[in-house]
Amino acid sequence: MAEVQQNDAGGGKKGRQKKMTIRVDFTPMVDMNMLLITFFMLCTTMIKSQTLTIALPTNEKIENKENLNQASAEDAVTIILDAKRKQGSNDVDSLNGKVVPVVYYYEGKPGGDAGIIGADGKIHSENNNLKESEFLSADAKTGSARGIRELIQKRNKAVIDKINELKKKYESGGFGSLETKADREAAQAKYNEAAAQVRKDSTLSKPVIIIKSTPNASYESLINILDEMQINNISKYQIDNMTQIDSVMVLNYRGVLK
Amino acid sequence: MGRVKIAKKSTFIDMTAMSDVTVLLLTFFMLTSTFLSKEPATVITPPSVSEDKVQETNYVQVLVNPEGKIWLTMNNDTSADFGNEKMKIALLDKVTEIYNEAHKSKPVKFTDQQKYTFSKLGSFGVPMSQLGEFLNLAQEPEGQTKMDKWLDGTDDNPKHISGIPISKVQDENNLSEFQMWMKAIRQSDNSKLTDKIKDGSGVAIKADQNTSFEVIHTVMDNLQTIRMNKFTFLTALKGASE
Repeated sequence: MAEVQQNDAGGGKKGRQKKMTIRVDFTPMVDMNMLLITFFMLCTTMIKSQTLTIALPTNEKIENKENLNQASAEDAVTIILDAKRKQGSNDVDSLNGKVVPVVYYYEGKPGGDAGIIGADGKIHSENNNLKESEFLSADAKTGSARGIRELIQKRNKAVIDKINELKKKYESGGFGSLETKADREAAQAKYNEAAAQVRKDSTLSKPVIIIKSTPNASYESLINILDEMQINNISKYQIDNMTQIDSVMVLNYRGVLK
Repeated sequence: MGRVKIAKKSTFIDMTAMSDVTVLLLTFFMLTSTFLSKEPATVITPPSVSEDKVQETNYVQVLVNPEGKIWLTMNNDTSADFGNEKMKIALLDKVTEIYNEAHKSKPVKFTDQQKYTFSKLGSFGVPMSQLGEFLNLAQEPEGQTKMDKWLDGTDDNPKHISGIPISKVQDENNLSEFQMWMKAIRQSDNSKLTDKIKDGSGVAIKADQNTSFEVIHTVMDNLQTIRMNKFTFLTALKGASE
């Protein structure tokens, strides 16, 4: 391919044709191209970042506290994020370079109805209803939820069951046919609307999740727990500051405060 | 014994086809590439199941490193009216105004040359009181390298502070410099940007996965105080099974 055959009527001797082959060696060209490709491959970002939008309440002091919706004790689940690291350092797990996350949670009031700090002002460890959990993905074999997700799914069962019903309905064509792309989009829109209705449905019992975090907890844990809210269709959750009681509960659970 | 004659064969391999392929690949990569912009801190964003893609223009990126230092990057429209350079000069004017209002005894002022340098910057993040000195570096030989080193905190001058100062004080009348910048950005003339800021996708916080909650909370709290309650976190993609 890279050769040109030239028929040249050779100079002096008659009737003789001299055949000349001109060959261009492309090897250096390929070498250079490969280097350029390597450069461009390393310099590009193919993956675009994803975004997670959150809305927080304002910091303004609320004058009229009567209008505030208080979460009832039976609906409330408080999740406290923490991490194992030395105070003020960024110690990470040597295995995968991540901070080791710790997740605590308690259902209802801190310390139950009796409260962790009794009327006598002493700490009652027996009332500490704080439990420890983990961020775990679904079980590879059975597909069932584990760790903190299991708890959230158990509490939000009514909503999740309804959403799963809707999913089945969508897949079987209950929201319109799934033949063409336009059809699918229309069906998807209907499904989204129905799902939003279910999430808002006040007749279903669903938890109010309060996310709190110690200063040590990692940013990754915060994103993880916000993900869990999305995965498990939690409609009511908030990010709140740790209270004194929460700190007492955590320290008491760790055995630091008795 | 007769000698076995080995026929002489040419070892020439025709590279033309190979060259064709590599040129095609090269063209593909050249056309699809968007260059990684240099940032003062390298962070690994945490994985999330969220599938919303980050928008290409009209957002402000707040880069937070694990020590809590902050740098801002403005990504404006590429249109002539609201191009990055024009908007950055307007931003600097606005933030100077807000800053001088709060620091009447020590006002700062920037020359046109300094403003021009600022408009060409990618990420920025030095205290207002040192910004003039920082921008003057551009006139010196190897100014870009010096500025980069100042930004990522690797230059040897202990007086040079990198990162925009931030405080934990929740007071609307006593803003931290970070809040001043964000406030100035919100007052931008680019209506597309201000709309995005309102719906939350205009402010993107990029932080490392190991950053402590304390640091993130300070940033969120600062934004809440100036009533920018909606914002986004930049995350990496995670499979649903994880």
